[in-house]
Amino acid sequence: MSAIDRRPPVRRYEHGSRVPGWDDAVDLTKPPATVPDPATTPVPEELRRAIEAEMAKYPDARSASIPALHLAQRHHGWCSPEAIQQVACVMRLTPAYLTSVASFYDMFALQPKPRHDVYVCTNISCSLLGADEFYDAMCHAAEGHGDIGVRGFECLGACDIGPMASVNGEYVGPLDLDDARLIVEDIEAGRPVLEHKQLRRRAVADAHGRVEGFDGIAPVGQEDAVAGSPVSGPVNPEETP
Amino acid sequence: MTQPLLFDRIDEPGLNTLPVYERRGGYGALRKALAMPPEAIIEEIKQSAIRGRGGAGFQMGMKASFLPKGEMAKYLVCNADESEPGTFKDRELMQKSPHTLIEGMIITTYATGIHHAFIYIRGEYQLQADILDAAVAEAEAAGYLGENILGSGHSLRLVVHRGAGAYICGEETGLLDSLEGKRGNPRLKPPFPAIEGLYHGPTLVNNVETLGTVPTIINMGGAEYAKIGAPGSTGTKLISVSGDVQRPGNYEIELGTSSREIIYGLCGGPKPGRTVKMWFPGGSSSPVLLEQDLDLAYDFDTLAKAGSMLGSGAIIVVDDSHSAFEVMQKVVKFYAHESCGKCVPCREGTNWTHKFLARIASGEATPMDLDILASVQTQIIGNCLCVLGDAMAMPVGSIVAKFRDELEAEIEAARERANAMPAVETEHLVAIGAH
Amino acid sequence: MPRPEQKIIKLTIDGREVEAVEGSMLVDAAKAADVEIPYFCYEPKLGQPVGACRMCLVEIEGIPKLQTSCSTPVRDGMVVNTQAARVKDAQNSIVEFLLVNHPLDCPVCDKGGECPLQDITFGWGKGRSRVIEPKRHFVKPLALSPLIAIDRERCILCYRCVRFSQEIAEDWQLIFTERGSHTFVGTHDGHPYVAPFSGNIIELCPVGALTSQPYRFRARPWDIEGAGGICTLCPSQCNVEFTVRDDKVLRVLSRENPAVDDGWLCDKGRFAYQSIHVDERITTPLLRDESGELRPVPWDDALRAAGAIAEHRGRAAALVGGQATNEEAFLLGRIVREGLESRDIDSRLSPAVRPGDATVELDLARALAAPALQATVADLEFAHTVLVVGTEPLDDSPILDLRIRKGVRRHGVQLLIATERPSALDPNAAFSVRYAPRRGAAFLADLDGALAGGAASPEAAQLANLLRGGGEEVVILWGEALGAEALPALLSVADRLGLAGRAGAGLLEVPSGANGRGIREAGALPNAGPGYSEVTAGRSAAEIATAAAAGDVTALYLFQVDPVRELPGRGTWERALARAELVVAHAAVLTEGIAAHATVVFPAESHAEKEGTIVHPDGRVQRLRSAIKRPNHVRAGWQVLTDIARAVGVDLHVLTAGMAFRRLVEAVPFYEGLTLEAIGGRGVRWPETDAASALPAARTSPPTPPAPAAPLAAPSNGRLHAGVYRSIWASPEVDVSPSLQFTVAEQLVELSPQDAAALGIEHGAPVQVAQNGTRLSGRAAIRTGVPAGTLFLAAGIARDSANALTDDVVEVAKG
Ligand SMILES: Cc1cc2nc3c(=O)[nH]c(=O)nc-3n(C[C@H](O)[C@H](O)[C@H](O)COP(=O)(O)O)c2cc1C
Ligand code: SF4
Ligand code: FES
Repeated sequence: MSAIDRRPPVRRYEHGSRVPGWDDAVDLTKPPATVPDPATTPVPEELRRAIEAEMAKYPDARSASIPALHLAQRHHGWCSPEAIQQVACVMRLTPAYLTSVASFYDMFALQPKPRHDVYVCTNISCSLLGADEFYDAMCHAAEGHGDIGVRGFECLGACDIGPMASVNGEYVGPLDLDDARLIVEDIEAGRPVLEHKQLRRRAVADAHGRVEGFDGIAPVGQEDAVAGSPVSGPVNPEETP
Repeated sequence: MTQPLLFDRIDEPGLNTLPVYERRGGYGALRKALAMPPEAIIEEIKQSAIRGRGGAGFQMGMKASFLPKGEMAKYLVCNADESEPGTFKDRELMQKSPHTLIEGMIITTYATGIHHAFIYIRGEYQLQADILDAAVAEAEAAGYLGENILGSGHSLRLVVHRGAGAYICGEETGLLDSLEGKRGNPRLKPPFPAIEGLYHGPTLVNNVETLGTVPTIINMGGAEYAKIGAPGSTGTKLISVSGDVQRPGNYEIELGTSSREIIYGLCGGPKPGRTVKMWFPGGSSSPVLLEQDLDLAYDFDTLAKAGSMLGSGAIIVVDDSHSAFEVMQKVVKFYAHESCGKCVPCREGTNWTHKFLARIASGEATPMDLDILASVQTQIIGNCLCVLGDAMAMPVGSIVAKFRDELEAEIEAARERANAMPAVETEHLVAIGAH
Repeated sequence: MPRPEQKIIKLTIDGREVEAVEGSMLVDAAKAADVEIPYFCYEPKLGQPVGACRMCLVEIEGIPKLQTSCSTPVRDGMVVNTQAARVKDAQNSIVEFLLVNHPLDCPVCDKGGECPLQDITFGWGKGRSRVIEPKRHFVKPLALSPLIAIDRERCILCYRCVRFSQEIAEDWQLIFTERGSHTFVGTHDGHPYVAPFSGNIIELCPVGALTSQPYRFRARPWDIEGAGGICTLCPSQCNVEFTVRDDKVLRVLSRENPAVDDGWLCDKGRFAYQSIHVDERITTPLLRDESGELRPVPWDDALRAAGAIAEHRGRAAALVGGQATNEEAFLLGRIVREGLESRDIDSRLSPAVRPGDATVELDLARALAAPALQATVADLEFAHTVLVVGTEPLDDSPILDLRIRKGVRRHGVQLLIATERPSALDPNAAFSVRYAPRRGAAFLADLDGALAGGAASPEAAQLANLLRGGGEEVVILWGEALGAEALPALLSVADRLGLAGRAGAGLLEVPSGANGRGIREAGALPNAGPGYSEVTAGRSAAEIATAAAAGDVTALYLFQVDPVRELPGRGTWERALARAELVVAHAAVLTEGIAAHATVVFPAESHAEKEGTIVHPDGRVQRLRSAIKRPNHVRAGWQVLTDIARAVGVDLHVLTAGMAFRRLVEAVPFYEGLTLEAIGGRGVRWPETDAASALPAARTSPPTPPAPAAPLAAPSNGRLHAGVYRSIWASPEVDVSPSLQFTVAEQLVELSPQDAAALGIEHGAPVQVAQNGTRLSGRAAIRTGVPAGTLFLAAGIARDSANALTDDVVEVAKG
């Protein structure tokens, strides 16, 4: 038998997308999605002000679209059509423009997502050290916890603590399989996650850099100076008026 | 190593705040620079011969001098996207000494007559972005940023801009589109950003480390700085070492240090009993090198001559417990996931390669298919809009070339496995990442 | 911005020295030199190249990497090789990559046979495939809109469609979502891509990913023919190519003429061809029988009945609709003036003009047509400043909307807008002002005063400043809807800005009718004969209505116009038509007024059937040629008119369409020398010809405009000032086109947020608009930008049209 003959049959076609949308027709009963008219698009005042503040930072206000989407995602829990509509209204863009932008970036969710984000790096350096196993363990540990979303992520820029994960933005590692359970427990208890494994507490590897008494980056006025920053931690949509 | 420049006592408590930074002499370089004519600063940077630390290794002084002179809307953008797998050096610098970067940016804008600067930081670096935001606020309050900086007449507005997760936004023109609020698709070059960049204005794009070195160059003088390192690769370099080494992390080395010294000396080498099977000298985009290459000097030109590159200075070490195929799969999955999709060879080439490996894994490939795999890589290289496609094709091409025997054996083994379990439905398309 | 100068340089392509315009793209220079470089994503109409498909890679001496010829401007001395082995390799590679995911379902693909992907694969591919990986497979085709189907498997992500949406139409509705090989063309949250120009993406798509719903599977490229024509559904007069099979129009494509349309079409022009082949089309003459029913009759009977108009000598009047050709208007004018000894003929038929609006004085009409004052369509793109006054290009002349956007986007044109209703172009404008409904004349007088340095409203003063400081080349795009009253001020403004005789500057009118300009030049005006010759003045349209309602006019000749639907003063027109003893109509479909009142109806030709000439608003004489045979018993308009002429005792000496044209040219001095051959497919602008000087000069210098009227008093609560708009979709052709049913215009009452809130009316809710016992039902459309105290009502629509109203103030209520 030739090599070709021994090969199991190859399916010529296969549905090939990780994303919904490919197979969707439009809903012909909907109106065209043009730039939302402020008169008919209510936007929560706080969100509007925050977006306008971002727009003011740039010579061209359109630059604020990513910061504005971060704000809207935080406010609504995900980049829902309504959230996008609101950003579009404030920024005088079409919702389609923002959908196009949002869908390009990994951190925006165009489908409802769990409140807590656990990104597990599964890229090369971490995977050499067992990231794939940790990812499985993390998924397993989060089973039954609907508010925890576990995602395999590309390199998060912390291979020195591989295998590692970013839990609601907090980098932790190196992780062993038991840590998966602890992460879930910490999240559910509302505690800082794996405090002793947080990247912010880690000394530099280079001997010249080390200094006696290093105890990690102080909380850098996170709570005050940058409290309004778009991506510092999850916010319960209910808590934001 | 003579003298650490960027990492010297970087763990000093509170260095991320202005008082400690100033106590250590911070913003001294800025004061010195503001007393110099702008051209003299460019001249110092040129003399330092510092090459960009972000990947392409282009001389910073040259790039800065391409910017048109005179008053116009020009921009400085610090590339803090740091998404090249294996790279995490900018993170440590920004997080522990943000003012080093800010000071470097102020000096650079003064030298080039720029009044608007941005730090484009990857969205995942939330802590680091918060730290930068706080540092910018401190610097503004202290008069280092804003109007008429320290009475020099120079003014600068600095904005920290957070991305949202896309490797391609590290590519400078993709970054610019993203900063303009668009999808981060790379642009056609020419025009190069120095001529037409952000908002159509001339734009200087530099890496965090490159800009962070500017205060040092001013303090030392360019000529003095150029004495450090190797010819053509001056200065020290922050490197990130990860993978199968005992002491992974960031190190500051003098360019030209032996690679073995780095991997074994600084990082302790692979676990006892393991040997280096291959290593990426400059992030996952660089063609792999082997154990026998460990004595190469770690500098731009030597690595290029050896058929690879220094890239972002990220060394990924793979020991002999891992298969070449597994490494290749990880690399390919990453680039297929991160291809922006704008140009055909990269979009389809990375995607095809990804499916190809899935076919190998499912036992449906033959060793002869490796020729097709290799030729697909050559079809990508040089034909794309930016070099992301090449960034997959080069390491993959190098792995196929250097581990051909092992890969053939792997293919045969996969075929055996598949033939042994004919009833099992094989999954052809592994989802690329979980989105 | 003035047009750039062109410099010719020399370069070498494949060893041959060729010439090219400096800065033009290498791919175009090569094409001009007969060297074909394949490409997909390049389309100069879409603006800057994107360099996405990489199909056009070539070798350029001195540059190590292959370069995309679509984005490389040619330089003097450049040496290019398109045949190098590595270029071939690259081309092979790109084709192979493109087919990695392409389904190759050519046998069942609409594009098959006219598909760039097929052609390029054949010409530049390796001819065999190494891909055995599974391809993407998706449900298809899917609706992208009622007009467009999308087949995502076939898409090669070339960016053309999304660039059109984003950079040409600027509607930003069509997007790429996701990233990498998961990228797909879509819209926001499943909304359809519905926009006035959406159909262009079908033509742009280089594969069969975007197909026309009405055209899908109707024909194969080898059993169709293309026939050049002109769309006469609006004054833009875009050049089109009809796709014809078995004497049926199956599709309309753009026939690019940069001087007219830039290669785009609106969806009305692209899809309303369906009205040619619907059951509603009148294809035989109709005659009202004793029982009052319109019934098909033989031509002789119909002609005899219509010929009876001879008995109404001195008491007959005619209206000429915008779709008439110059020849038809000219022949009808002669019938009225010579045969019927009447002076009552008009063609100024704007739904927005007030009933009772005066006739434009002959001197004014001549002054406005003066060659020195005519701007061209291309001037809109290159002027320093464009002022849009009294027209909404998107509705009134859609293709100009795209041209104005292009000027602003690409050439930095300063756009100024002065209208009563918010404009789709407002976001692109440097300055927009709103004046009260129907107060265009007052506003222009105000502006004129400001330009003269006198007292003026702050808005007019600011506009005057921007006009004065806005560079030499100023183009004023103005709408006929402004009314006759506004014209003295308009001319005076043009005079103060020194527009006459200045290259690249001038006035450009948007007439209400598609061929409004040509019809006037052919003499269908109450006070002007062919070529604006002097005649004893007769009644204007509004005066005809009153006279007929009073019994002073007893016969009406309605050439492709239904005044009940189209014209203001609907009530008067209904009485007029009811009272008239004879109503002769030419119509393609039975609209309300014709159905109720016509005595005789002649089937009208469609724009794909007519032979004749029309005149573009910028003076370009264009030619209609019949692309298909007239259906059934339809006869040519000129032929019917010649028969009627004979019945009223006039011999027109017309036996063919060509003769009709020659009679016209003889009668209009400034058309002298025009021939059908010269007009050809691109048209001839008569103001640029030597004969142009034959247009009689206006005797007076610009007349003094009337003093600005006092501002309108705010009407009290629940009562609002009403303005009128005519949507792009308000047309009988749209009403009967099956695929356009979703967009048939209805009464959308545009309200300001303030008034809506005060009246408790919600967006989309039903409302009633009332006035003196007349009541219209509609739906509320709350629109930021509508000034408080005003509202806008749709006219020209089949039901609840605003032309039923007689007064400017209306009462609105939830309903
Ligand atoms: C796909 C791709 C990803 C890149 N990612 C980064 C990055 O994350 N950080 C960075 O500084 N440079 C990155 N670069 C290099 C930049 O394009 C650019 O060369 C660099 O920012 C210039 O700064 P430098 O001259 O200071 O090195 C990337 C390049 C490519 C092609
Ligand atoms: S649908 Fe057609 S025009 Fe649009 S990107 Fe795909 S191939 Fe290009
Ligand atoms: S035509 Fe040049 S890249 Fe597509």
